[in-house]
Amino acid sequence: MRLSALLCAGRLRIPPGYRHGTWRPETAAAQRRNPPGQRRNKIFVEPIAREDWKVFRGDTVQVLVGKDAGKQAMVTQVVRARNWVVVEGLNTHYRYVNRTAKYAGTYIASEAPLLLSQISLVDPEDRKPTEVEWRYTEEGERVRVSLRSGRIIPLPLRERRDGIVPEQWIDGPKDTTVKDALEKTYSPSLKTFEEEIMDAMGIVETRRPKKSYWY
Amino acid sequence: MGLLTALARGLVRGADRMSPFTSKRGPRSHNKGRGAKQLGVLTAGRKFILLREMVPQFIVPNLEGFKLKPYVSYRAPEGSEPPMTAKQLFSEVVAPRIEKDVKDGTFEPGNLEKYGFEPTQEGKLFQLFPKNYVR
Repeated sequence: MRLSALLCAGRLRIPPGYRHGTWRPETAAAQRRNPPGQRRNKIFVEPIAREDWKVFRGDTVQVLVGKDAGKQAMVTQVVRARNWVVVEGLNTHYRYVNRTAKYAGTYIASEAPLLLSQISLVDPEDRKPTEVEWRYTEEGERVRVSLRSGRIIPLPLRERRDGIVPEQWIDGPKDTTVKDALEKTYSPSLKTFEEEIMDAMGIVETRRPKKSYWY
Repeated sequence: MGLLTALARGLVRGADRMSPFTSKRGPRSHNKGRGAKQLGVLTAGRKFILLREMVPQFIVPNLEGFKLKPYVSYRAPEGSEPPMTAKQLFSEVVAPRIEKDVKDGTFEPGNLEKYGFEPTQEGKLFQLFPKNYVR
């Protein structure tokens, strides 16, 4: 049971005491840090409802606390389980990566995650930190509104996991063009699909299957 | 750290008993199929007669000038039409014919076959109920 269960982990089941890090649960680093059967001390996290979450990847935020306080940058990663936000280039510490026996490793700056209380969303025109609330426009769309000025903060563009930008996609030889895909060629008829093909190809079938009964 | 936690850490003791015993495993004498349908009849004397009608054939019309390809471009917008219902099919195909006949005055309630009504499914190659074709 053990090997095949580990192999067929399509939908990962996260155990209740799982300690979330900045890695995704299916990566090797996360699996190394969280082997099955591990129990760690509980980390208390302020519960925030799914609908009330305001910060997304790609948003510009300002850091309020720490050695990079007052600087603004883009959010590169969000870990909702721990109310974490990783901001690009801010709140960094330095470490060595790719260390081998002969090579000491590359010295790089790595960002530490910040809590939501240490972060503030930024008004798009003012470029000053504001409090933000979810509100509905007149059309019924749910948007984030800055409380100080009333301006709408647009949602950042959601990038696809495979990195494809649909607007810049170049059709390959096996791709149907947009015009052909949207063309309406269906004409409703009372014949089934198979009967239509038989008529179109001139297939005549006079044999009928033998009658059989089942219970 | 007891035996259970040691096992839980991924130390597998012995072979995996729960994986299926397929035709790829076992000795040479282990002959097992993978669920292909029997395309004929096994007669006395263990002779197998292949029936041509049971062998599936792909009926493919001429695809010259066919513009649809295997994949769809990423630039195509989402959204589709609602699925076709029986009511919609009737109102698009049959209802105009009946209206025309009623206006001309040639509508006969006893002769509904000319609008596509089928009193029984007997004698049809593709019966709608009970469905006797695979889609």
